[in-house]
Amino acid sequence: MSTPTLQPAVRPAEDTETDEQHDPDRPWVTIVWNDPINLMNYVTHVFMKVFGYSKEKATELMMDVHQKGRAVVSSGPRERMEGDTATLHGYGLWATIQRDS
Amino acid sequence: MKIRGSADTLRVSMQGSESALLTVLFDDFLALIEAEDEDDYRDDPVTQRLYPDGYSDDEAASAEYRELVAAGLRDQRRTRLKLCREEVTSGSAKIELDPEGGERWIAVLNDLRLALGTRLGVTEETELAESQPAQVYHWLTAVQDMFIEHLMH
Repeated sequence: MSTPTLQPAVRPAEDTETDEQHDPDRPWVTIVWNDPINLMNYVTHVFMKVFGYSKEKATELMMDVHQKGRAVVSSGPRERMEGDTATLHGYGLWATIQRDS
Repeated sequence: MKIRGSADTLRVSMQGSESALLTVLFDDFLALIEAEDEDDYRDDPVTQRLYPDGYSDDEAASAEYRELVAAGLRDQRRTRLKLCREEVTSGSAKIELDPEGGERWIAVLNDLRLALGTRLGVTEETELAESQPAQVYHWLTAVQDMFIEHLMH
């Protein structure tokens, strides 16, 4: 597979401080949304490639996306979630970043 | 189009009509991504689909995210597209791909489907009306599916 060439985004220090003061323990998540074009086996394949998930876990996440409309596919620091999202956008998946709720 | 072999070595063979169609689609898509500019992120559904917002609820953060990643995403798309374009010779083509090449092909086929499917207004609920672009879309879907099944097994 192609190696992701995108560097994780670097946040300005002031933003990080505001976030930290807000709620230091609440992580960020990457969400993949359902869309009518990406094939189910493609989405599963991408989850396995990008995150190293087993076929079972990748299929389960893909089914969540397909049936519930969305699934959390990774969680962690904001910078890493922006990196994951950019990688998924490179594969053409519809992904966004948000605070864990 | 036929694919033989396994994930280690995919042997793809296509007829002259298929290589001709792919060449047109590759060239059109290259022209599309090279023509896009900042305004397209707001105005063109295809560009919006290829470079989605990073945040669903934060316009400023999305703009910042896009500034950081959009150029890299475009380079990634252009590079892999050109590599596939070079592999498709005119007439009946035979291509041998290692796993990395197979991954590149499914990503490029996906880009083409995203662009064409968005233009056609593909939804989960409705069947596409019969048209030549719809036939091309369905053909790309079948070809991508075939690549994925070979790469996964």
